[in-house]
Amino acid sequence: MPNDYFAGIDVGSLSTEAVIVDSNKHLLSYSIVNTGINSSAAAEEALSEALQKAELPRNRIAKIIATGYGRAAVGAAHKRMTEITCHAAGAQQLFPEVRTVIDIGGQDSKVIHIGQDGQLVDFAMNDKCAAGTGRFLEIMAKRLEVKLEKLGDLALLAEKAVSISNTCTVFAESEVVSLVAQNHPIDEIIRGLHVAIVNRIWNQVQTVGVHGQVALTGGVALNRGVVNLLEEKLEQTLEIYSEPQIVGALGAAILASK
Amino acid sequence: MTTSDTRRDYLQNQKSSGRKLLGVFPAQFPRELLWAFNILPVEIWDPPVEIAQANAHLQPYICSIVRGGLELILQGKSSLVDGYLFPHTCDSLQNLASIVNDHLDTGKPCFFFYHPKAVDGQPAREFYRNQLTQLIDRLEQHFGSINIERLQECIQTSRRLYSQLNELFNLRKQGLLQITNSDFYATLRRSEFLWPTDYISELELLLTQKCVKPLPSRAVVLSGILPNPPEILSLLDQHKIRIAADDLLNGQRRMTFLPTNANDPLEAITDAYFAQPPCSTKDSAIAERLKHLQKLTVDSKSKGVIFNIIKFCEPELFDLPQLRAGLRSTGIPSLVIETEINQVLSGQIVTRLEAFLEMIGD
Amino acid sequence: MSLTGQLRYHFMKDIGAPALMGLQNITKKKRIRKPDPLFAPPLECTARLKEIMTRHYYLARFVPGAKPVAWVTSGAPVELLRSFGFYTIYPENHGSLVGAKKQGANMCAIAEGAGYSPDLCSYARIDLAHTLSGKTPAGRLPKPDILFAANNICQTIVYWFKAIAHHYDIPLILLDTPFNYSAINDGDIKYMVAQLQEMIPVLEQAAKKKFNYAEFQEIIGRARDTSLAWSDVLATMKNRPAPMTIFETFFHLAPIVSLRGLPVTYDYYQILLEELQQRVRQGIGAVTNERKRLMWDNIAIWYKVRDHSVQFAEQGMNFVTATYTNAWAETTVYMDVNNPFESMAKTYSLVILNNNLDYRLRLMERLIKEYQVDGLVIHSARSCKPYSVGQYDIKRKLRERLGIPAVVIDGDITDARAYSEEQTRTRLEAFFETMGD
Ligand SMILES: Nc1ncnc2c1ncn2[C@@H]1O[C@H](COP(=O)(O)OP(=O)(O)OP(=O)(O)O)[C@@H](O)[C@H]1O
Ligand code: SF4
Ligand code: SF4
Ligand SMILES: [Mg+2]
Repeated sequence: MPNDYFAGIDVGSLSTEAVIVDSNKHLLSYSIVNTGINSSAAAEEALSEALQKAELPRNRIAKIIATGYGRAAVGAAHKRMTEITCHAAGAQQLFPEVRTVIDIGGQDSKVIHIGQDGQLVDFAMNDKCAAGTGRFLEIMAKRLEVKLEKLGDLALLAEKAVSISNTCTVFAESEVVSLVAQNHPIDEIIRGLHVAIVNRIWNQVQTVGVHGQVALTGGVALNRGVVNLLEEKLEQTLEIYSEPQIVGALGAAILASK
Repeated sequence: MTTSDTRRDYLQNQKSSGRKLLGVFPAQFPRELLWAFNILPVEIWDPPVEIAQANAHLQPYICSIVRGGLELILQGKSSLVDGYLFPHTCDSLQNLASIVNDHLDTGKPCFFFYHPKAVDGQPAREFYRNQLTQLIDRLEQHFGSINIERLQECIQTSRRLYSQLNELFNLRKQGLLQITNSDFYATLRRSEFLWPTDYISELELLLTQKCVKPLPSRAVVLSGILPNPPEILSLLDQHKIRIAADDLLNGQRRMTFLPTNANDPLEAITDAYFAQPPCSTKDSAIAERLKHLQKLTVDSKSKGVIFNIIKFCEPELFDLPQLRAGLRSTGIPSLVIETEINQVLSGQIVTRLEAFLEMIGD
Repeated sequence: MSLTGQLRYHFMKDIGAPALMGLQNITKKKRIRKPDPLFAPPLECTARLKEIMTRHYYLARFVPGAKPVAWVTSGAPVELLRSFGFYTIYPENHGSLVGAKKQGANMCAIAEGAGYSPDLCSYARIDLAHTLSGKTPAGRLPKPDILFAANNICQTIVYWFKAIAHHYDIPLILLDTPFNYSAINDGDIKYMVAQLQEMIPVLEQAAKKKFNYAEFQEIIGRARDTSLAWSDVLATMKNRPAPMTIFETFFHLAPIVSLRGLPVTYDYYQILLEELQQRVRQGIGAVTNERKRLMWDNIAIWYKVRDHSVQFAEQGMNFVTATYTNAWAETTVYMDVNNPFESMAKTYSLVILNNNLDYRLRLMERLIKEYQVDGLVIHSARSCKPYSVGQYDIKRKLRERLGIPAVVIDGDITDARAYSEEQTRTRLEAFFETMGD
């Protein structure tokens, strides 16, 4: 029996995903686990889980491509590629019309311009600080004692946004504390935080430009507040896959199959 | 032995042999003049120091070159030098010079060198000459009078040195030098503290690495201030990418033009300065820099330009968007990374670099 | 320059704009402000100031086709331009207006979207944003025909103007003023004079007008008189109580920065001076309860000027001097109608930001003594490296020498994102505590 299955593993700063596809690029299974402190263990765990779901033995996988910031730690990988190329490939597979991909993960956000044949044309990435990433929202959710999953919906319920002037995460945190002390409604503060992060991302989008249809990938695509505000800026709807976190791993698997 | 040990030993030896040492900050200064005084310029770009005391003098939004240089002085790690020379370069270095001269008691003389910003024209040339004369006057007050014959000799040495460098840059451009990026720049940067004749011997050695058939490797142009942190170079080596030309302030931007054969030595030095490629710290027009970068890329058959920017470096940051747009319009892709001189490469920057390499293809 | 364009400009300047603005004044309901117990009633001159500046920005619309337009840096020798009849725009002044309208961060974000780093001077980012997008909340700026710069305030402004020059593909005329590490010397002066003289044919070409030496001398004379008047205005604040606050001078500074050399500016400072002298005679202090007198270092935090002035006035503290406002009075003495080029070289290259930190320290010491200053507030401005680098040492030295308490506020001139309300409040409260009663 030929080894005609391919795997992609995306070791992100927060979550690790594994995806298995067949030679026709059909998705067989996927898994999402926490990255934790040990990247290589997380990669192993994700891969085993995905294999289990696909009911495949390990030796049926012909090629593995690792991606994500922990890609170097994946011992099983045959090749390593950046998540920029992989998110582009994944999005291209899911939405062939898409030319712009925005990936907002835990520690990084990226805007990627892809050409007709799926090749990279240009990309931008956030600078070192966490403003404009999922981490920013996580910190604020914790500070405001709100569940991360609820954050986006609360932002959408608010009538208006309180303006958050600091972009630095640490300063913004203390600004939030004093806004709460000044009795500003929590949902309006939350909306303000979403406006701030979307403005940051919008800056990056502008440096690359909006081309064709736009896909949003990464865990923050699960946040409806961000999605909504970003769509307002873009003046178009975003293409979002039902499991936005696995797009990078899917891209890696697709590239492995080529 | 680490490189910093060897460097220190070398300097110690130089000093024992009777040479004076001058700690020189970035970037443009007339080396030949100092050599003629039997002074060895020791350049201070990226000293390997932990930043602690400098933060009491500098705000957080100042670049790591200025911060590192000040830290070196504050920690007393520049005790070997007999004085400091501050070329003007930029707002941050200008004020650093003044902090050291006016507010710190280093017990060592400070010298200054203002390079004209209105890039060409007769007044700028005359002013440059005047700066040379003034520097001579000031140096004479501390180090005895200058010997003109010796200056002529130093100019000849300098011509030899820069000719060799040009040959090396040329070989590298064609892929005819069997040496990694890391090794090439490590050698190049030894000019920052070696006596010129010692340096020339090292360059001669390097020239023997010449090969006949070009090595297979993809080429890029590296622009910026320094090739730092050095992990950038090894990362490019790993991916078999050759830096075929550079536009680095401490590389080809200032190391390519040799003094002329003019009879008047000061004229010869002035000629070299005004022949140098466009530079942000000289207020060169963006169109000129763009043309220069396009030429570097095309001539070296490079696939793109990597701008390695030191965080907070305004002269470079202001030029970037239009340089990139101009390059893009002629089909040259480019990448910007922001780094600090002594920080290890973050995973994020590695990702950016690798994505760029994936982007420019094979 | 077209004839109809010129006619239209002059019509608007002499008849149209004054009439229109008069109308605006009538239609705009006069807001009756409740007297504020913290401050004396606003200076009557303020209305005239607004009129002058509004008219200047308003007239800008009619300039294209009528006059050559120059964008100019605050430290450039504008007297030379005036003699050619350029209409001048000061992007730095525009930046401060945008900052005061609290729109700095929004404008900066536009420039950042175009790839300009958030670490760049925010005046530059605002101006680049306006150049790229055509947007500005403060008037509309006519497109420049030339750019006119001096690097006596910073190198940054040349980088910025280079980008504008590239964008419009227009000439950038630069006066390179060598930094004074120690005293100025003849070689420096010769260099600057030669540059100034080389500019003349370039400007003649751009303005299509011959250089007129006599007219130039006249302008130099007027600029000197205006600067002298400005220094008299500032000197009224040596009185106890001071008739004006530095926060007000930040605004009354606009004409000397951007309309220097014009008769309207000279006249304005005469009436301002008169009003201030009147206040001094009547013993009116701008801050009603002036307990302590302070000095401000660096450019204003434009989006916080109002808040700060209240915050300090509540403590009975008034700012009576600033290195920033003083910059346009400092080197006036060098202006000489009989030796215009050389004197201009000195006037422009000896300003505070083109001088070493020892000079700055001594200048501040002098101001502290002359204005009887009790405390120092230092704005560490992220935008402005030449102004900010060295402040920590100056603070330390002033404390050692004069025992003067000082506080550093981290912020920015226009980009409010670099300012933390909470952090600043804590620092200021601690400062108020050290100042005692
Ligand atoms: N259910 C959810 N609802 C809302 N947001 C979520 C949810 N799950 C995850 N997120 C957001 O997604 C982020 C993590 O995204 P993702 O898993 O793509 O990151 P990563 O790939 O590990 O990080 P990076 O790509 O930066 O290395 C979290 O920081 C969080 O803000
Ligand atoms: S890196 Fe840039 S800002 Fe720093 S000293 Fe060099 S030129 Fe100046
Ligand atoms: S704020 Fe500072 S850096 Fe910016 S233009 Fe003014 S002097 Fe230059
Ligand atoms: Mg990710």
